Amino acid sequence: MMEVRVENLGRAVQGKRILEGIDLEISPGAVHVILGPNGAGKSTLLRLLGLLDRPDRGEIFLDGRKLSAMGRNERTRLRRRCGFVFQAPLLLAASVEANLRFGARLRGMRLAAGAVGEVLERTGLAGREAQDARLLSGGEKQRLQLARVLLLDPDLVLLDEPTANLDPLSVKNIETAIAQLAGAGKTVVMATHNLIQARLLAGKVFFLKQGRLAQAGSAAEVLSRPLSLDIAEFSAAENILSGTLARRGGGTVLNCGPLAIEVVSERAAGKAAAVIRPEDILVSPRPIASSARNSFRGTVLTLADLGAVIALSVDCSGVLFSVFLTRVSCAQMGLAAGSDVTLTFKATSVRLFPQD
Amino acid sequence: MGYVLDGLRQGAALLLPPGREILEIIALSLAVSGTATALAAMAAIPAALFLALKDFRFKRLLVGLVNTAMAVPAVLIGLLVYGLVSRRGPLGPLGLLFTPGAMVIAQALLAFPLMTALALAALKGVARDARDLALSLGADRRQLAWAVIRQGRFAFLTAVIAGFSRVIGETGMTLMVGGNIKGQTRVLTTAISLETMKGNFEIGIALGIVLLLAALAINIALQAAQGK
Repeated sequence: MMEVRVENLGRAVQGKRILEGIDLEISPGAVHVILGPNGAGKSTLLRLLGLLDRPDRGEIFLDGRKLSAMGRNERTRLRRRCGFVFQAPLLLAASVEANLRFGARLRGMRLAAGAVGEVLERTGLAGREAQDARLLSGGEKQRLQLARVLLLDPDLVLLDEPTANLDPLSVKNIETAIAQLAGAGKTVVMATHNLIQARLLAGKVFFLKQGRLAQAGSAAEVLSRPLSLDIAEFSAAENILSGTLARRGGGTVLNCGPLAIEVVSERAAGKAAAVIRPEDILVSPRPIASSARNSFRGTVLTLADLGAVIALSVDCSGVLFSVFLTRVSCAQMGLAAGSDVTLTFKATSVRLFPQD
Repeated sequence: MGYVLDGLRQGAALLLPPGREILEIIALSLAVSGTATALAAMAAIPAALFLALKDFRFKRLLVGLVNTAMAVPAVLIGLLVYGLVSRRGPLGPLGLLFTPGAMVIAQALLAFPLMTALALAALKGVARDARDLALSLGADRRQLAWAVIRQGRFAFLTAVIAGFSRVIGETGMTLMVGGNIKGQTRVLTTAISLETMKGNFEIGIALGIVLLLAALAINIALQAAQGK
């Protein structure tokens, strides 16, 4: 395990600022996810944390010691406590086993008998020792990178989009290994733009935008209560509607086409975007009596099986909503494409972002 | 056609066995161009590694300069070196003009940008990946240098082959600074040029065959070293 703290960190490449003013703390025993769109600086941040590049501003503290005050040997010693999984697998043009042993050789580590076989087993590559690493599939190469890290047993594990474009089996295998690493008390930092993965694994989420830290907090906080519309958009807060605010009765509504959505807002005029989390919307076959202020009739367009939940897309007078249901309730209601349903949600479930 | 074929026959005959003068010319050619290529490589390989691995301001400008330098005509480099080593030039006191030393300097200058540019192009991708891989696995400074050089060895060989081929076949510049002095600075290309103009077509052919064979042998050897 390793404590990582970063203060006002910045890096520019050939005069272009990639990262600026990053402050964050990373502690062992949880998966820390760096989220953000492409070009936000996720990889750059990971590379700084892995001591692959040097920051030109700010400071990194590893186990409380200042990186900038360290000599070359100490930096090498610290780097030997890190493991890095690159987005595009970096492997030697050699056998699977040679690739695994390379890191141990550089570190002067003595491997226990059977250690190689064990990490291959854990990553679903059992018995592949002699195979040419270049001939592995994309998913296998990525698992080999992970196996290499597992073999070195580092304190800090950094993963740069480890499951981008991989087959589902490899994704599952890698996610499991990541969760186990955190469970074993390692410090784990992962960059991803896969939200389901972030929700699944993340203890803490750092949202990067244009090289700056836009929001940090628990996964639930960042993904459910995004601080800005672009975080919400990225975080697949699937229901993002835009409209105009207006007074109606004693309250405020957001007029989105034919729908008037009751919201809680101090402003009652101007354009605004509304974000409604899919899990905050109640689905019923018929209108139900409840205190929730918003209730709309609609038609189910599609059902997508996400594993743990079913995602429905529902058309309410031309406005598309995305909602999540458990498999059981979906079956109980006998929902299928074309079913008529009622969507109900509270005015307080609507998060508003002014747009002017 | 008969003239050319006769030339070929007589040229081949001159090489079986080759005379002392021809052997000396071959030896000097290999020594001058080999030394020039080695000197250029000592500068070009670190330069290419530096350009491939480091990011800095004006890097694009510098790479652009290297690429432009590649296109500088050899005769201009000859002019420059002539100016440097001629008696009134800054290196005049060394007495290098019309010596193999001047030829080595000129050929090394000619090869340097070409070798740097070629090595850089071949290192792109390879060098950074090798660096990232070695660093992330915990390489120290020595291990890192070794890993990058190992991964870049094909790039360096490509540059060396191209550099050597370029300079051993160069004529005009070598003539300018070397002078084509018999027994002292006469190399294959300048000898071919001279003998042909003197009307000794068959000697030109004989030396041309040697030049071709030398280039071929070096290339085969280097390709073999690359394991291709």
